[in-house]
Amino acid sequence: MAREKAQWLEDFDALRAEIAAKPISALDRGSLEEFRVRILGRKGWLTELLKELKDFSIEERRELGPKAQDLKSRIDSEVSQRQKQLEAQADQAQTTASGLDLTLPAFRPPRGRLHPLTATIDEIAGIFLQMGFSWAEGPLVETDYHNFTALNIPEYHPARDLQDTFYVEGLPLLLRTQTSPVQIRTMESQRPPLRIICPGRVFRHEAVDATHSAVFHQVEGLCVDKGISFADLKGTISLFLQKLFGAKTRTLFRPTYFPFTEPSADVYVSCVFCEGKGCPVCKRTGWIELLGCGLVHPKVLRNVSCDPESWSGFAFGIGVERVAMLRLGVSDIRSFYENDVRFLRQFDENLV
Amino acid sequence: MKISYNWLKEHIALDWSTADLSKRLLHMGFEVEAIERLGPRFSGVVIAQIAEIVRHPNADRLSLCVVDDGKEKLSVVCGAKNIAVGQKVPLARVGARLPGGLSIGKSKIRGVESQGMICSAEELGLGAANGGILVLDPGTEVGADFAKTFGESDEILDVEITPNRPDCLSHLGLARELSAHLGLPLTARPAPQPSAPQGDCWPVAIDAPAACPRYVGRVLTGLKIGPSPAWLSGKLEAIGLRPINNLVDITNFILMDLGQPLHAFDLDRLSGGEIRVRFAAAGETIKALDGKDYALTPDVLVIADGERPQAIAGVMGGQESGVTEKTTRAFLESAYFNPPVVRKASQKLRLRSDSSYRFERGCDPDMPAQASARAAELILKLCGGAVSPAALAGAGVARRAPIVVSAARVNEILGSQFESKDVGACLRSICAGFEDKDGAWAFQPPSYRGDLETVWDLAEETARLLSYESIPSRLPTAPLKPALLTRRQAVAERARKRLQGFGLCEAYNYDFVSAKALAACRIEDSPGFARLANPISEDWTILRPALLPGLLQNAALNARRGAPSARLFELGKVYARAPGAVDERHRLAAVLYGPPAEAFWKPARAPAADVYEALGVALELLCGLPGLSRAPFEPTGAEGALFNPGASVRLQAGKTILGAVGQLHPQVARAFDLERHGATIMELDFEALCALQAPATRFAAVSQFPYSRRDLSIVVEKRHPYAAVEAAIRDAAGAELLSLDLIDVFEGKGIPEGKRSLTLRLTFGRDDRTLKDAEVAAAVDKSLAALKAAMGADLRA
Repeated sequence: MAREKAQWLEDFDALRAEIAAKPISALDRGSLEEFRVRILGRKGWLTELLKELKDFSIEERRELGPKAQDLKSRIDSEVSQRQKQLEAQADQAQTTASGLDLTLPAFRPPRGRLHPLTATIDEIAGIFLQMGFSWAEGPLVETDYHNFTALNIPEYHPARDLQDTFYVEGLPLLLRTQTSPVQIRTMESQRPPLRIICPGRVFRHEAVDATHSAVFHQVEGLCVDKGISFADLKGTISLFLQKLFGAKTRTLFRPTYFPFTEPSADVYVSCVFCEGKGCPVCKRTGWIELLGCGLVHPKVLRNVSCDPESWSGFAFGIGVERVAMLRLGVSDIRSFYENDVRFLRQFDENLV
Repeated sequence: MKISYNWLKEHIALDWSTADLSKRLLHMGFEVEAIERLGPRFSGVVIAQIAEIVRHPNADRLSLCVVDDGKEKLSVVCGAKNIAVGQKVPLARVGARLPGGLSIGKSKIRGVESQGMICSAEELGLGAANGGILVLDPGTEVGADFAKTFGESDEILDVEITPNRPDCLSHLGLARELSAHLGLPLTARPAPQPSAPQGDCWPVAIDAPAACPRYVGRVLTGLKIGPSPAWLSGKLEAIGLRPINNLVDITNFILMDLGQPLHAFDLDRLSGGEIRVRFAAAGETIKALDGKDYALTPDVLVIADGERPQAIAGVMGGQESGVTEKTTRAFLESAYFNPPVVRKASQKLRLRSDSSYRFERGCDPDMPAQASARAAELILKLCGGAVSPAALAGAGVARRAPIVVSAARVNEILGSQFESKDVGACLRSICAGFEDKDGAWAFQPPSYRGDLETVWDLAEETARLLSYESIPSRLPTAPLKPALLTRRQAVAERARKRLQGFGLCEAYNYDFVSAKALAACRIEDSPGFARLANPISEDWTILRPALLPGLLQNAALNARRGAPSARLFELGKVYARAPGAVDERHRLAAVLYGPPAEAFWKPARAPAADVYEALGVALELLCGLPGLSRAPFEPTGAEGALFNPGASVRLQAGKTILGAVGQLHPQVARAFDLERHGATIMELDFEALCALQAPATRFAAVSQFPYSRRDLSIVVEKRHPYAAVEAAIRDAAGAELLSLDLIDVFEGKGIPEGKRSLTLRLTFGRDDRTLKDAEVAAAVDKSLAALKAAMGADLRA
């Protein structure tokens, strides 16, 4: 029920008196908001007074309307002015004296690490994937045929001495001593041309010490096509090593013997630490022996029913631990298998 | 193989330093592992001048010399005939040491004191005996240390000879290889000239011609077995062999000089008057020269006399017929044995020797006769007596067919552009005699180069001789096909990336475990495990049936070393015995203890790890798999025993069981000293995971209208699992319930015993309009009514 004029005027004056007694410019943030809602809100004091004007006569409206409007615009402007003032004060306080000690430790979202050997395999494989080599896999428990015989290491061949072998109890099986059996398995199921890499675990029956591990990793590679020559091998390996160790890396191919390649080569890279000047890592030779490779032996090709007169290929094998140890400066191969988090956390992919 | 540089130089006139030579050898494919410098093998020998010679008062053949060593005059007894006043000679003074361990002391010879010894070349290990003292150049300075001036020194190269090159396992062999590479001729040696043969040789019968294609025997009589002269013992000592006696030393010398293993039997210990090369009969045994008894089997080739095996062919002689100081008659064997036969015997008997090492790699089949003649010549010289003519048995090894090779084919294999004349020169340096016919050659490999079989071998020889560096470098020009990852590798890369993102570090463990370590994991030993026949140690006998035992060892190590938290995962293979095979399967496992993040000063940010966190890691890893769900835990596989069955769940995708996640079994936690750490574990079947296929991601429109959120606290009996509460609400609230989050669980004050309060946050919304308050209220009421009906749940007062 609307107020009588007298009542309206009394309330109106009371509102003015309140404002006079408690100037808007002196209100703090909380009481300003309370004031705004109480006076100007949807059901606020002044809002109601203004709404009720419509029930008065025209004369009364002419008399009271401007008074009320005048008051409203005054309050509006003062409230908004005071609001701006208070915001500015608060911003000033927050931006100049936040009270925060920003030297306190930050909350760091937990971030794990890939094993350094995974990272090394990924890097090696990544280079060859770019060169069109596909990823291949094979079993770790192998037959004698795939691990030795098919690779031109027949039974009672002295080259078997080069790789001491773990045998499975009660079965004619062994733990593969090299990733090379994957060459055989791949060529048994696919015809050339082919390019594969096979990263994986290999096993040697030897005592574990700082530089020897009974379990380690290799990345094997195989490329078989028409007209592949030793020159293709040299080019591919040199490019790979430059990608891995930097564009300035020089490579050196030296003769050696592997039963499954002919000709065979040991590949050396210019020492990554002294750039070939000679340092303790390269035993002052300027060169570091890094991988073995060669042209696929014609007997190996024949063993997978591939005619060596029409197809030829090259193969290589890289020791993953050796690369990781060289590049990361790890001196004890056993650290890779101990899994001390203080060790593992050191190997972080660089952002830049 | 140990190579004496002085000895090598007897075969080829090298003037390289050993450092340069070893670089060159590496270039040829032979790694020199060490170079050892040997000094003179004597000390305390000075250069002295003979001042006066008088007859020994008590012996006609001896003289008494006064010698001047530059400091004092000494009186020395000497037996040599070639002495004269004024000569400069090497004098071993009292305290001197000579080769063979002889030391010079003050001594009385026939009653006269001798204050030293005038030395011959042989006594100093500098040459063969010539019956007199070593007379030095008149210009030599008296008083100088003889070792400094004349002391011969040697360098011993430890050369690694690859298994394909047994022909280089001797001084002659390596010299031959160097000759081909350096273009230097081998030193010509006169053919051995044994004096007129005497007597007869025992007949040699070969019962196994394939195993022994060539056997050369000789009978030696009237032998005088004794110490070898210094030049011989010196040579053997230089390369690390122990001199035994003149006859045995000669056989070892020929082995290291020519690469032909020889064996000498004491003829008086042989019976039956014949030598027979045959396979052992079942049940035969032999005591070998190493003093051990060996049981022989019919695949072991032996050298027998009329009665029994006297040697394991190519491996080792028998002790009974071994040469001793008493031996006066001997039978000398020089033979070629089939390589696999020798290797088989050597492996079977676990007996290796310098002979077996060479025979199993392949000796020169044409060498036995020549080596026998060379040995006979030396035996006559050093042991005296007489030598019979050689008994030759066996047809020998047939000449291999020539290899047809051309420069074009070699260049094709190598990708090189070598001139035909250069390739020809390379091949000629290995074996000169071949014909050039229409650009192709029929190359006859020498008898000692068993490794040369095909044109590829000759391409390698050419590359070695002309240097690998002279071959160009290029990239294959074949068309590129897209490189593919295996599915397993593609999934593995993504899984690793996810787990790394959750703060886990990747671990690599060995594939071997011990029964003891498995027992600590409550995994009972089982015939289903794959095992090693020849483990390195007790700790490494079983091929791991699960990944978790290894990861728990890692966690225990980190805890022991004080790490406040360790969160590790591993992707690797586990093994199981299958009929006639070993099953290998990829698994993915993790162990977590300690807070996920580093310690933080606002505790609310760093919750302790618990089973819900581990479950979260598992679910987020598997996020996106269709039908991913939790099921009650049931132990499966070996790793099942590691889980606390009361605090673990099984994970499934549809009907595929993926694995389990949960708390570590308290018994296992105790065994690994991880009780305080509240470790949680998971192990997933990675192969099962890889076999699943998730649907491709498709865009779904996001609502443009505001959502309404209501928080409800209900009180419900604890026996009702949360999943039932959630299901009841989802059923009742309808499709407009977009998400349901549990934001608090409370038991205790104000909540009746046996009940708990759950605070749930319900979010409602539609894609096409804003929901009205009344619609939301109705959905909430329906949910509450359903909860009340299903499990008597009430709104919390």
